[in-house]
This record gives sequence, structure tokens and C-alpha cells, in this order.
Amino acid sequence: MMEGRCAAESWAEFGLLGKSGTPLVKCGTGTDVFICTGGEEVYVFTAQEKTLRAVLQMPAAVRDVVVSHDEQLLFVACWSGVYCVNVQLLVPSFSHDAGSGPTELKISTECLVAVADRASSLLVVGSVLLTLCRTDASWSLTLYQIQRTSQSDPCDLLASFSLPLVSPKVQSDAESRCVLVCVYPGNLMPASSPPHPLRSHYPLQPLLFRRLFGAEAALSKSPVVLCGLPDGRLSFLPLRIPGSRLRILHSLEQSVVFVGASAVMETDAGCAGCLIALGKQGRAVLIRAGRAGLEGGGGTRFTLGCVPGPVECACMDQSRVYYSTGSDLLMVDLWDGSSGTAGRQGDKEDEASRSNPAAFLTPISLNVSGVVALHQPTYSSAGEVQLLSLSVRGRLQSIRLPVRTQEDSLSKRPSSQVGRSVGDILSAIGDICERASVLKTIIRSKNQILKQLNQVMNISFLLSNRSESDLKPVRCRGSVRWSRLLQRDSLNLTCVLENLSPFILERGWTLSVTVLPLSCPLEAGGEASSVNYSFPFSGLGPEESVEVSLPVATAGDASFPVTVTCSLLFSLWRFLGQEEATAPLDLQSACFSLPLNTLTVDWLDALRLSDPPAPARSSSSPADLLQGFISSRQLRCRGGGQASRPEEYSARVRVSSELLRDALGLAPGSPRVSLLEWLLSEGCGGVKMERKGIKTDGSSSVICGSAPDNATVKLTAEEVNVEEKTKPLVTVEVQVKSSSVAAVCGLHHAVMRRIQTLLQKAGSSRVVPTADLRLALQQAEEQRGQVWEASSVGVSSGQTPPLLLRVYQQLRDGPLLIL
Amino acid sequence: MIQSASLLESWTQENNQLASGCKLSPHVFLLLCLSLSGIPPHLDRAQLELSVVYNTCVCFTAQSQFDEAELLLTQTAQRLLQIAGDDPGTSDPSVLWRTALKSVTGTALHRRVLSLLCLQWGVWLAKSRLTAVQDFQEMSLLEAQSGAVWNDCRAETKEKISNIPILVLDPRRLVDLLKICTAIVQGAERLTEGWSVLSALQAASASPAPRALIAYTHLLSGSCLAHMNRPQMALQCYRKALETDPRCVCALYQSALIYSRLENSQAEIQALRILHSMLLLPSTTEPAMAAGRLLSPSLFLCSQSLSSLLSVPSALSVLHSLALKCVIHSRVSEGVECYLDLLAALQSEDQHGVRVHAVVSTLPKLPRLYLEAGAALLMARRPADCMALCDEVIGSTLDLLPEKVLLEDPVARRVAGSGEVTEEAENGLVRLLWTAAAYLLQGHCYSQLKDWKQAVTHYTRCINLLVKVHYKDTDKDPEQGVDLCVLQRLKGLSLAGRGISFAQIDRLREALRDLQLSRQAHPEGVSARRWYGEVLWRLDRKQEAAACWEQTWSNPIPSLSEALPVYAQELQSGPLLDSAELHQKLQELGPT
Repeated sequence: MMEGRCAAESWAEFGLLGKSGTPLVKCGTGTDVFICTGGEEVYVFTAQEKTLRAVLQMPAAVRDVVVSHDEQLLFVACWSGVYCVNVQLLVPSFSHDAGSGPTELKISTECLVAVADRASSLLVVGSVLLTLCRTDASWSLTLYQIQRTSQSDPCDLLASFSLPLVSPKVQSDAESRCVLVCVYPGNLMPASSPPHPLRSHYPLQPLLFRRLFGAEAALSKSPVVLCGLPDGRLSFLPLRIPGSRLRILHSLEQSVVFVGASAVMETDAGCAGCLIALGKQGRAVLIRAGRAGLEGGGGTRFTLGCVPGPVECACMDQSRVYYSTGSDLLMVDLWDGSSGTAGRQGDKEDEASRSNPAAFLTPISLNVSGVVALHQPTYSSAGEVQLLSLSVRGRLQSIRLPVRTQEDSLSKRPSSQVGRSVGDILSAIGDICERASVLKTIIRSKNQILKQLNQVMNISFLLSNRSESDLKPVRCRGSVRWSRLLQRDSLNLTCVLENLSPFILERGWTLSVTVLPLSCPLEAGGEASSVNYSFPFSGLGPEESVEVSLPVATAGDASFPVTVTCSLLFSLWRFLGQEEATAPLDLQSACFSLPLNTLTVDWLDALRLSDPPAPARSSSSPADLLQGFISSRQLRCRGGGQASRPEEYSARVRVSSELLRDALGLAPGSPRVSLLEWLLSEGCGGVKMERKGIKTDGSSSVICGSAPDNATVKLTAEEVNVEEKTKPLVTVEVQVKSSSVAAVCGLHHAVMRRIQTLLQKAGSSRVVPTADLRLALQQAEEQRGQVWEASSVGVSSGQTPPLLLRVYQQLRDGPLLIL
Repeated sequence: MIQSASLLESWTQENNQLASGCKLSPHVFLLLCLSLSGIPPHLDRAQLELSVVYNTCVCFTAQSQFDEAELLLTQTAQRLLQIAGDDPGTSDPSVLWRTALKSVTGTALHRRVLSLLCLQWGVWLAKSRLTAVQDFQEMSLLEAQSGAVWNDCRAETKEKISNIPILVLDPRRLVDLLKICTAIVQGAERLTEGWSVLSALQAASASPAPRALIAYTHLLSGSCLAHMNRPQMALQCYRKALETDPRCVCALYQSALIYSRLENSQAEIQALRILHSMLLLPSTTEPAMAAGRLLSPSLFLCSQSLSSLLSVPSALSVLHSLALKCVIHSRVSEGVECYLDLLAALQSEDQHGVRVHAVVSTLPKLPRLYLEAGAALLMARRPADCMALCDEVIGSTLDLLPEKVLLEDPVARRVAGSGEVTEEAENGLVRLLWTAAAYLLQGHCYSQLKDWKQAVTHYTRCINLLVKVHYKDTDKDPEQGVDLCVLQRLKGLSLAGRGISFAQIDRLREALRDLQLSRQAHPEGVSARRWYGEVLWRLDRKQEAAACWEQTWSNPIPSLSEALPVYAQELQSGPLLDSAELHQKLQELGPT
């Protein structure tokens, strides 16, 4: 295989490329070349003298440039429309004086010949100008009649054809270009064509033409316009057939970058026997006529191939395609026996290449980087191929390819050429070096991303593979604390995310905490609404932790217990950042969530302790005193009509001391104090209350405090001897007393929940005496009867609430004994 | 107060300068309009403001910026109501205008408001909101009122020319234009709904208006009469339309259609010929805006049904139907000329050829045109030209032919067959029929040249192609599709042609077989039957021959029809049997 080494000669610099337009290099009249660098200028460069001859300043960014067949008019497509410039204007009126710079022409809207919104491609066929524009819902190909007499008049609109967009979402990229070429049957090029072959105009083998476009197009010898669209469709329109419309020839399924035609065999005599389309990601399709009469009317063979992408731009000569991937310029020989199978082999091999398209086209690197626009190759008399290219830095380069057949004569160069070739080699080395360093950084960053994704995979496996009850290696701990801000007390939860796994949580992860009150005050609609907090973090190594703080409730808010659900979110968007995530990721696959543990903040956690003797608020601040005074006044006022003293509610729970001792591992001395301490300190829902220490005097073991709804609460624990059947039993009775029903209920529920976990911890080996159960059952049935009675009576009289309250009181006062 | 007055004067002057300037643009007026609307509405300035708004809106309308015009009009109506202190509390334009008009009745502003209202009318008409237009007409009896108001307006302008703001368009002319345009558009709408609108149209045709519009009223009356099944009266109306405006090609086209309905083929051909030559003239349908005519009538004539009534097929379509008519009605040499013109036009690269596909074409497919032209050439006894055309068709289709065509069963085809003619026409069967027809015509050519062997070869090629089509011969439903009918016809004709050719070279057995088969494929074929008799006669089966001939006396060779392609019909191009001779033979037979 030939190792191509080519000479790149820099001709001119145009500065960095603009983003808004399309970079272009197009052959103009004679040796003139039109160059666009993506901005609003069109440069006219003479290849012969290698000087810049004129600069056209267009009113908007340039999308495409085309010259009419008689080389008199230049059409420039901008965003707003198509402008026409007389080529004669570009020739300086006086002979070239030394130092006279390029002619500068400002093109105004007076030169506008066709108002085509978002015109992206142009083509001239005979005296017809074609524009391809994208409208909101379709692609439209519009035909204009070129004015022969005066080019400043707007062109007459002849016809317009449209093709609906496949899906508007996919094609949001309005920048992407379309390709417009024209093919003719046989060698029927227009009579007015210039001596050198036109770019984008190809004569096609008559057989292939008939097979592709039908008998009617062949009969009328009509030129056919081919459009390659950014959605991958290749559509065609016969120009001279009445009532023709745009039809689809093929779909490449990726943005079409290049459409060309090539001669297959020498016998074709100037006609191309093969149509080629190249897609952005390197997919290629070769369209040729199959053998006559093989499979009836069709007989066109579409051979799919693949070249290493991405394809930035391409051009081709008789049999070779040159294309740039941005980092390298590659050459593909389509009919070379060694690299392509598409040459003269039979259908069998065709099938093979279809099944394995990657093996089909082997490109040869030419080692030129950064090419964004290419011009059709030209040949010198010695058979050298010359390509004009525009690099991403805005450099116009002439690339000369070595003559293939004279590889062995390379060593016999005259000494004058040696120096030049050394220079070429050096510049090539520079190019390769630049390319290599770019590729290295890309590889490094890709490796990094892969490593990080591996960590993500590990973590998601660890977390998703366990049930709820297991302790997860990544979990949250919580602690609550009352704090006062702006005269408002609020309960803050500090959530600590611990990473006990051996893996690192890197960027892309977010801790999501959902706070869901179990109940809600009736006036708020009764429907509990959750609040979601998310904390993005980056980098959490093994054994490290991250602390976040969030408000759970405010004072006066009695919607406890609150469930706090923690989960980890991973987002590919955040992980890849802005620049990497260019490929469309759909939302579902780009983001997933891994549940962690759930915390519960209940009434006990939210209890604010005060000193045990409730009336003697000696240590309180004056503000608290005042507050207490006012609230007592309020209570009195509210209860003024009935009883002066507010009603007290209470609930009792009894636990056997033996059980407590076993479970808590306490000394046999004072189980009641330690029970209260345990209740208040040891978080069982994973939440810990930060308190300074529980002040209980040893004897009474009374704790006073205020519930979140500001009601005063008293918790007492005392030892009670219970006569259980025959043997006496020492139990500890916990009593909750408060004037607020909600507080009593909530605290009772919290105490029970904790004792339940205590029982679970102690194990279920204990024997439960059945006699007690029976008694309890009797009691329960009795009370159920009362409830039923209450509901049946209360419907009419409206006395249900008090009745139900009474039953509840009875239930709570008849202390349940827990063994 | 003094300053305000002088300001008023300067504004008026500015307006007058703009209005008398040569290049009218809505934007310069809009600027003035904006500066006026910046100050609170007041009765003193209202006169000027309304004039400026009128000028602005006329310019907007002239540039088809109807939305902008309407917005400005609505705003002005609201400002008027502010002056009057009325608030209808709605933004519905018709209610607004009603209230505004009521509030200014009897004041000097009345006629200004009326002229603005006319502009609103124009906008509604241009946007095809005909109900609103009708409301308006009922609401303000405007002809009577406005006529009186504007008459004294003219007297007033003569008195003090300097102080009155100039209007760019005389409101009376606007009203005249709008009246006739409304009549035309409404007429077209009602006509498509099936109403008779004769009286309204005839009233409109008497009003002063441009010739083109008067011609439209005549044209619509004609269409109305044609609907009412009075073709002769319709023709009269079309003639009147043409007399009024010679560019009214649509009238000519409609007349051709009526002649076709009346089966007056000569007149139809004449009409088509004139129509075609008029369509070839450089397009002068849209004359340059005359100096005094700011608003073009076409601005207001954009209703859908009107444009469908006024549509005329492209020149090439007209040429094709002219050619076909000529050929069918035995004016073959003219037909041939037309066909050759048509093909030349289609091949040429000039703008005319390109413009063809601007409209949806009614032309048949190109190969069919070639074949029709070939058939015409054959009938004109130009077999060499015919063969050249057929060669082209064969060359472009031959390697696209399928090996075999299998037609699905008729039920499925009937379901899919609705769009058969227009869509996807170039399938295998159609291409095959084209090629077969080309071979058939070549066979005809050779038999005309009396080269019987070549004729047999080409007829055989045709037959070989046609037998590639397989279909279930379940029922002979005439609606089975034109293609199948053409297939049967081609089969019958080619077999008959080959049989006749065999008969000419005295291979009577083959001739008899082919003619028999031809009669089976296409029982209506007359020449096949006659030749069948002839061959029988030559084989000395005279009684059978006589019986066969007896049958054919009753029905002569049918004349050409438009239902089928010309080339699939009997062209009478081959050798003919002299019927007198046949009679003689029968009489010979008779006594025995």
C-alpha cells in the first residue's frame, strides 16, 4: 500500500474561521478561487499569481457560492437570501499596480436576487438557479430564472418543490449543510458549459441514469438534481419533466456531506458509472447499475460501505475520494483492486461487503490535519494531483499528491528539490505532531471518563443489589437540632452521607433528600406534600462523609413524624459536562436514581426539653418567661367559658424491667432513668437529637419539655409492681402527659416505636402469657363496641369527636404491658 | 394653543408632502401616524389623524400588509371612541365600527370614518372574510349615505385646498373598486356552493370599473349559466367577457369546454388553438400599476373558489389536448404539427420548458406522448418518423422491463387503483405497455411500408412482451383499470396485425390462428374479423367466411375515442379490404 506523503504549501492566511457561515473553497472563473471562512466575506484569490484579488463584504454570513455557466455572474447565498455579483466587478479596472490591495466591494441588498430564508445550498443548471432552504416543516427546493439582461433585478421564481422534514427534533441543527448536485444522462452536458468540468455537475452512464430515474427522465434527457439532506436522505428531482416532484433515492441515515460520481471503467467514456454519497459519520453508498435483466425492472445496486469518520468535507476525481476528518486528510481509491471490492468483482463479494461494511473501503492517510474545506482536484501536466484546501485556522493550502506510478523515482530527485522536500517533511512532521498531541489529550480524557464510569457502575451495583433492610455501604445518618432564626424556631436536620464502600463517588452524583410529613394539618388540605432537596457534590472518597443541612419543620408545625428519604442521583449530563454531551442523550437513560436509607424524625426527636420542675422556670430567659405568660393567658382566655384549667391528656406504656435490663444492658439499679435517657437520646429512626444532656433528678425521673406545637409535655417513668397472674412483676411505666392531644398521641406513638425496636433487638424468644392476651382482647372488644356506638349515635347528634376521644383516652390509660 | 395650531399645520403639510410624493411607503406615513397618536385624542386633530391613518392603511394594503392595516384601523376606531367617550367594551371590529360611526354621525368626521370603514371592508375582502363584508354592507347602507357625503366633500376640497390633508386615494374610487370586487368574490363563492347569482353579477357588470373586472363578471355569469344547463347563453357571456377584455383567457378555455360538451369539435379545436396562441404571448395579465391606481384589484380577488374558477391549464396541456382533438377528429396533419411542437417544447431548454412544472401538470407521461405522436405520424403516413419516435421509447424503457408482471386480484387492485393514474405511474406494467405499444406501432409502420417480414417480427416482439403479464381472468369488469383494457387491446391489435401480415405472405394457417386469437383477445376488433373472413375465403371455407362477413356489416370500424390512448385503437393504417369487393364475393357465393 502506498504511504502517501504529500506536499502542503501554504498560500494565504485568512484568520480563524467564523462560526456563523460555512467554510468553502470553490473554483471560480479561470484560475480564480472563491473562499469563505465562515464569516460575511467572500475572498477572491488568484491561483496563478497567488494573490488576493478582491474581497466581497456580504450583508450576512455566507452559506454557499456558485458561478453561472457563462462565468459572468457569481451567486452568494447568505442567511437572508441570494445575492448576485457581476464577476467583471471583481477584476480591477486598472492594471495591477504594485501595492494596490485587493478590491473591496460592499454588497448591499440591492444585489439581492432571490429572497430565500435560510438558504443553505445553491446550484446553477443552465439558466436556472436552484436554492435549497429549510423551512419550519420542510425542505424546499426553489427554482429561479437567472436574468440575462441585468443582474440586479430579482430572479423570476419558476417553481418550488418541498419535502417534509422527517422529525423536526432531530434536525434542530440548522447549521448543517445540504449538498446539491446535478447529473445528466450520457454526455449531454449543457452546451454552454465551460471547457473545464463543472463542479457539482456529472454526466452519468445512460443505463444507470435510466435505472435510477426512470424512462421518462431518460426520454426527456432531463438534468436531474440530487439533494443530500442533513437527515441522510438523498432525493432527486428531474428538471424537465412536467409534474415531477422530489422523490427519495436512498437514505444514508446520517447527514450527507458529499455526493459525487465516478467512472467505473475506461469504457464509460467520460460518463460516470457510479454515484457516491458520503455521510458525516463515514457511511458511504455506491450506486451502480447491475447487470441487465437480472432482477427485472430494478437492477440498481446499492453497495454500502464505511470509512473512518467523521467526514468534514470531501471531493473526488475520476476514481478517488479525498476527505478530511478534521484531524487528517484521507484518500480512498474506489476501484483499486487491493483496497476496494467494488471494482469488477461479482455479486458474491458484494454481499460479503454488505455484511461487513467496515472491511470495504480502506483509506490512505495523507497526513494533513485541520482541513475543513476542499476544492475539486486538478491535475498538472505531469499527472500530479493538486488539492486546494482551507484549514481550520483559515489557511489556504495547496496540497500536491505524489504521482502514484513513479514511487521508485523519488530517490533520484535533483538537489534543488531536496531542500524543498525536507521542508515539506518538516511541515508534515509538525502537522503530525500537532495532531498527535490533540489525539493524546482526547484519549486521556476518554480514559478518565471510562475510569469514572467504572466507579459509577460499581457503586450502582453495590447499592441496587441490596434490599431495604440491609445496611447499605453508602448511607445517611441524621441529627436534628432546634435553632432560632429571625425569632422563629425551626427544626433542622443535618444529614451526613457516609461512604463506607471502597469506591469513590465522583462528579455527576447528587444527594437527593425528600422530606415527607406523614400527616398534615387539616387546614392545609390534609394532603401531605413532600419537599425535595438535592445537593450535588463532587468527590467523596472511601470513609469520607459529606454533611448537608435542611429544615424539617418549624415551631408550631405538628406534622410529625416526618419521613426523610435519601437517594443518590446520577446524571450523565452533569458527569460529561457541557462540551462532551453533544450527542443527544434521552432523559431516561441519562439519569438514574439509587435509593439509600430512610430516616424518620418523630415527636420524641422534636421534643424540646426544659427543666424538670415545670412551674419554676428559673433558667429561662425573660423572653421565654414572657412567652410562657402569654401562652398561659391565652389558655385561660380560651378556656374561659368552660373550665379554667385546661384538660390534661395522658397515655401510659408499661415495659417489664427485666426486658429493659436485657435489651439495654443496664445495671439493675435504676431502669426508669436510663429508659427515659434511652428514649430521648438513642435515635432509632437513624436520627439523633443533639441535646446538652438530660437533666433528670434521680428520684423522680420526670422530663418536661415542649412539643413542636408548643404544648408543654411531661414524661414520667416510674417503677410499678404489677400482679401478673401469680407472680409479681416489676415494670417500668412511662407516662406521657400534656394538654395537647396531638402531642400525647405523637409521643405515645414515638415511644411505642422505639420500644418495638427494643423488642426486636431483644429477640422473640420470650413466652407471652396467653391469659393476659385474652384480657386485653376482651378490653379491646369492649372498646370497639364503644367506637361503633359512638359512630352510630354521633352521625345524627354530631357528638362523635368527644366520644371517640374518650375511647382513645381509655385505650391509652389502660396501660399496655410489654414483656 | 397657538403652538398646537401651528403644529397641526405642520403635520398637515407633512402629510400633504408625503401624499403628493412619488414613492409611497406605509412607513413614512406610519411615523407621522405614531407622532399623532402620541398626543391624547382630540376632536380638533381628529380630521388630520384620520386622514393620515387612511393614507397609511392604503399604503399597507397596496403592499399586501393586511394585518398591519387592520391593527391600525382597530386602534383608530378605539381612539375615536375615546374622543366620543364611548366604550363598547369589546374588541370585535364590527361592533367597534358600528359604535364609532354612530358617535360621529352628523359631524365633519363622518365621511372620514366612512372612508376608513371602506378600508376595513377591503381588508376583510382580501382576507376572504365574506361574512364580515356582508355584515358591513347590511349595516351601513353605505352607497346611499356615502355618495351624498362625498359629493359635498368634493365641493369642500375645492374651496380651501391648503388646509385639508390630502388623501392618496380618492375614497369614491376605492368604493367602486371594492364594490365590484366584492360582487365577483361573492359570486364565485356562491357559484361553487350552487347558488344562482346572475342578477347580482349582471348588476355589477354595469358599474364603472376596470375592463378586466367587468370581464370577470361576464365570465362568472357564463359559468353560472353553464351550471344551469344553458350552454348557448353561457357561450354568449364568455364572448362578452372576451370582448370586454381580450386577455381573459379563462373565458376562452371555458368556451372550449362547452364546445366539447356540445360535441362541436371544430369550434372546440378553434378555441383551443386561439387559447394556446394567447397563452404563448408574453404574460401581460398583470399590467404595471397605472399612475392613478394605487391599489391593484388582484389584492382583493384572492378567494379560493374564484381562483379555481379562473384557472387555466398550462400552454403545453392546451397544446396536447389540441393535438389529440385534431387527431381524433380526423384533422391528422394539424394534429401531427401540434404533437411535434409539443415534443419540441418539452425537449427545449428555454424557460418555457421549465415553467411547465410550475403548475400541477395534466399532461400524460412523456412516453405516452411520444407514442401518441407516433400514432399521429403513422396516420399521416409518415412511418419513418413514427419509427424513430418508437425507437426512442424502446431505447429508454427496454432495459427497465420486468421479467414478469403478476397482477393481483381485481378486488385488491380496485382498492389501490384510485390514485393509479397520478401516482406511481411508472411501474413495471406501464413501462411494459409503453414498449409493447412502441413495437406495435413499428409493426404498423412496416405493414404500411409493405415490409411484411419486418412487420411480423415487430408484432411478435409486441406479443412476446404482452404475454409476460399474468392476471386472473375472473371477471371482465370494465372498471378493472385502463391498463388492463389497454393490454387486451394491444394483444388483439398485435395479433391481428401479425395475422394480416401472414395473410399477405400467404402463410394462411398462421394467419388464421393469429386472427382467431385476436378475436378472442379483443372481440370488438373489426378489421381482424374481416380479415378472418378473408383468410377463410382464401382457404376455400367460403360459407364460414360469408357468415363472418355478414356479422361485420352491421358495425363499421369505430372512430377514435378519448377514453383510451390513440395507439391502442384501430388506426386503419394497414391494408384494407374493399367492402365492395367483399359484397361482390358474397353475391358470387349467394347463388351456389
